[in-house]
Amino acid sequence: MGEVLAYRSERMRQDVTSWIGMVVFLAAWAMTFAALFFVYGAMRVRSPMWPPSGIAMLPLGLPGLNTLVVLLSSAVLHRAVVRVREGRPIRLPAWVGATMGLGLLFLALQIVVWRSMAEQGLLPQTGGYGAVFWTLTLFHALHVVAGLGVLAWVLGQALRGEVTTAKHAALRHAAMFWHFVGTIWVLLFVLVYVA
Amino acid sequence: MKRLIPLAAFGAVMTGAAAAFAERLTGPQREAGLGLPRDVSLDGYRIDSLLMSTAVLTTILFVIMIVWLVWALVVHRDGKHKAEYDTGDGKKHVTTAVMISSAVFLIVDGNLFLNAMVDMSEAFWNFPTSDETVKIEINAQQWAWRARYSGTDGEWNTADDVVTLNDVRVPEKTPVVLQLASVDVIHSFFLPNLRVKTDAMPGVINRLWFQAQETGQFEIACAQHCGVHHYKMRGVLTVLSDEDYADWLRRMSAEATRAYDPNDEDARWGWEWDREEAN
Amino acid sequence: MSAQHIHPEPTTFLRKYWFSTDHKVIARQFLWLGCFFLAWGGMMAMLIRWQLANPGEPFPLIGQLLMPRSGGIVTPSAYTTLFTMHGLIMIFWGITPVLIGFFGNFCIPLMIGARDMAFPTLNMASFHTMFIASVILLGSFMVPMGSGAAGWTTYPPLSTQVGTPGWGQTIVVIAIFFAGVATIMGGINYVTTVIRLRAPGMGYFQMPLTVWGQWLTAILNVLFVPVLGAAALLLILDRTFGTEFYINGSMATENTGDPILFQHLFWIFGHPEVYILILPAWGIISDLLAFFSRKPAYWYKGTALGMTAVTILSAVVYGHHMFVTGMNPLLGKSFMLLTLIISVPAEVFFLNWLHTMWKGSIRWTVPMAFSVGVVFVFGLGGLTGLFLGTISTDLYLHDTYFVVGHFHLTMAAAAFLGSFAGIYFWFPKVYGRMMSEKIGKWHFWLSFITINAVFCGQLVVGWGGMQRRLYDPSVYTFLEHLGGVNKLISYAAFVLGISQLLFVYNFIASMIRGEKAGDNPWHVGTLEWSVPSPPKHYNFDPIPTVYHGPHEYSNPKVTGKDWVGQWEPPDVIGGPPAGEEKKGEAASGSTQAAE
Repeated sequence: MGEVLAYRSERMRQDVTSWIGMVVFLAAWAMTFAALFFVYGAMRVRSPMWPPSGIAMLPLGLPGLNTLVVLLSSAVLHRAVVRVREGRPIRLPAWVGATMGLGLLFLALQIVVWRSMAEQGLLPQTGGYGAVFWTLTLFHALHVVAGLGVLAWVLGQALRGEVTTAKHAALRHAAMFWHFVGTIWVLLFVLVYVA
Repeated sequence: MKRLIPLAAFGAVMTGAAAAFAERLTGPQREAGLGLPRDVSLDGYRIDSLLMSTAVLTTILFVIMIVWLVWALVVHRDGKHKAEYDTGDGKKHVTTAVMISSAVFLIVDGNLFLNAMVDMSEAFWNFPTSDETVKIEINAQQWAWRARYSGTDGEWNTADDVVTLNDVRVPEKTPVVLQLASVDVIHSFFLPNLRVKTDAMPGVINRLWFQAQETGQFEIACAQHCGVHHYKMRGVLTVLSDEDYADWLRRMSAEATRAYDPNDEDARWGWEWDREEAN
Repeated sequence: MSAQHIHPEPTTFLRKYWFSTDHKVIARQFLWLGCFFLAWGGMMAMLIRWQLANPGEPFPLIGQLLMPRSGGIVTPSAYTTLFTMHGLIMIFWGITPVLIGFFGNFCIPLMIGARDMAFPTLNMASFHTMFIASVILLGSFMVPMGSGAAGWTTYPPLSTQVGTPGWGQTIVVIAIFFAGVATIMGGINYVTTVIRLRAPGMGYFQMPLTVWGQWLTAILNVLFVPVLGAAALLLILDRTFGTEFYINGSMATENTGDPILFQHLFWIFGHPEVYILILPAWGIISDLLAFFSRKPAYWYKGTALGMTAVTILSAVVYGHHMFVTGMNPLLGKSFMLLTLIISVPAEVFFLNWLHTMWKGSIRWTVPMAFSVGVVFVFGLGGLTGLFLGTISTDLYLHDTYFVVGHFHLTMAAAAFLGSFAGIYFWFPKVYGRMMSEKIGKWHFWLSFITINAVFCGQLVVGWGGMQRRLYDPSVYTFLEHLGGVNKLISYAAFVLGISQLLFVYNFIASMIRGEKAGDNPWHVGTLEWSVPSPPKHYNFDPIPTVYHGPHEYSNPKVTGKDWVGQWEPPDVIGGPPAGEEKKGEAASGSTQAAE
């Protein structure tokens, strides 16, 4: 029996467990969004013209800018997580705050796009197209808000100095969620706005 | 022995029940035997024979299962039989299991699949395309069936369109094509005596065809829950001889022309006959 | 895998029984909630069957109390609510809490040698979310126009404001949404726990099949309940905010919603859901048949992998619920083929069950009786599925009582009997006392006979063409002759319902004064039977190491007894070590093991 077993502390084991739990959670969420994209696809396939006649085309500028905002915010957060994991010095509150700021910017730009579409007559009640556009984007935006909430919690932890290399599960989970929401946005942008 | 009493009781009950059911189902009204409604259609025999063959095959499997279970419970029981330690994952066992499952699958499922494929392509999906078919538009609503014929002029949405309520009349031995839609919720047009059923939905035109081989009156049933009076959504299919049908259509068209009111929007429900071919 | 901490035991009443994070307590909470709703849903079934047996007559005894405005008579409108809510309640508030909430929570940690679930607080939250869902559901019965009435399948447009106006249907869909959230929370817990918290030595193929069933169910729950969530969300939006996902005007052509879209989403969830509801029972039966035949579960791996294959295939067969919607023939053919294929892995483990019993030494205990009952009803129900998976026969049988009989046999009867098997089996471990065998046997036979009478009867009337959800079959002449059969079914159903009182009595009386149970009254080797009945709040101290599989029964190399606990040291099995001998070929009658 003279094998050498790698030592895994209780904390490390718990970390892997909570990581797996997070992955399963995100799988469930991915399926929800998949169902919504399915709805979008089904509507589109049935429709002779897209967008249907009389409905304004979706803009590309602001949503495109939002895509950059999303990618940047994920990059910032990822950098922060890597720094913490490797034990390099970092002013964590600033980085988390920057991510949140970019998230807020995303929401602000999204609101501008919504108002513009509403003014052009595209409301949630505007047939199947309106329903699917507004629901997809609103649902996604709600997840951004949730992500901001989680990041606020992490910010609190960071300000209190509770986030260390050994113990940063909340930060890691927040990052996983944030990247997930960002990926959904990229899909949304490509499938709904660009296509 | 004592523990066999409940088992025997169960067996007696099942046999008695089976006999009672069989007797009721093969009584005078059920000329077809087997408990199915009388089939008066051209292609219904396909479904009936597939139902029959599958019933026979599944009954055989079921009986094997029961015999196996009862034997094991009676013979291989605690105190009478010593258990054999067999994990069943030896190569021989695995191969046997896979072979038995495959055999059952190929015979039973295979019979079903192949016959269904043939039935669907030869009959149910094989819509008649000749101009001699009778074409009827069925618009379902809560809780009735409205039918529209193009009338003697053969043109839809003209003064002589015949519109009926819960009353579909067709000639015998002639293919009838129905286009189905609904004004409100999903209904399902079911002709038990012709073995056909298709949903009638708002915003979509579904198609259904059948051919009745004898005259008589048969029922139209709604087979999709559509609200409180779903159970009352009954119509009547009347199959007439060719002459009777032609007379009826002529008479109804004439009446329709007489009663035609160009200002009555509601009476003009209907759609241009959808000429899309089936794939 | 991990040395989980032993927390101090909670002391206050609230922390012990309401806000507990102990999986065993949460399991019992789900059991009581589930049993309450099974009774509620069952009562509704009695009303439905009364109407079908004696149309237009007031329900005896309590009819006036239940339906005062109609003098105790089931009205057509009440009938639509009854069959809708019967289905929804039995599925989401009955079977799910009992088979998944109770058995999953109780059995998984104990059977894999863990102290609790991976996320105990999440576990507590999942029960409370279910509780909130239940309150919302009960609320739906109190609104003016009544509760849901669009069938459990909730198809639009009938389920939109067009077909079922008012708040009742909306509230029901919201309740389902919350129930779904609770299920997903539980699913996350079960999946992670099985992956991470198995005791040392317990690989995936040393897990009891009960755990396999729960794990596969949890995976399906996590993946497919969200799809229902999306479908339900869009329906709520249509009903409340005027969106048009599922609504189209009758002849509109552009930019409309699509009622069929709901059917796709619903059945993408719905078909995996039926496997979600039966996998736990399959798992439990696979173990119990082995335990009470005193033989290993025949071809354990085949059963585990067969259940896995069914799980994977469950996602791609859903179209067989939609054969009469006018779907594209190519799609129809594909769904038919896949549906027939999915029967193969199920056949494999069904055969394994039969083989497990064969040449065993069968102990006819109450759990065994119910397990054999499951084999019977599932075999029968599964065979009837063949008729429905084939398009041409389905054209005739779709939306008739044949479908109702089929799914009640495979889903309700099998899950019901499987739940009883499990409850009678694990009751000693949960409460430390034995349930009465005698009353249990009566309960079994009465339930088994009447279940078959009811659901086989439904197969018969469906074969005759009787449609589902029919308030009064006498409207149709082609159904007139089925009145007698319907009466028979109903009376059998009444006996079935009343027989459950035997169970209730047995359960409660045994809780209070049943014979005390030892650690291992059934002489079975899975890990939960190595600890006291009921277990300490921390389950195991220390975490056991697993040396054997869960089905070491009647191994000829074991002297003195016919079972081996998974935790017992490896040298309990005498003779050369297991690795040096081909498995399954050891026993062939002549052994030297003393009994």
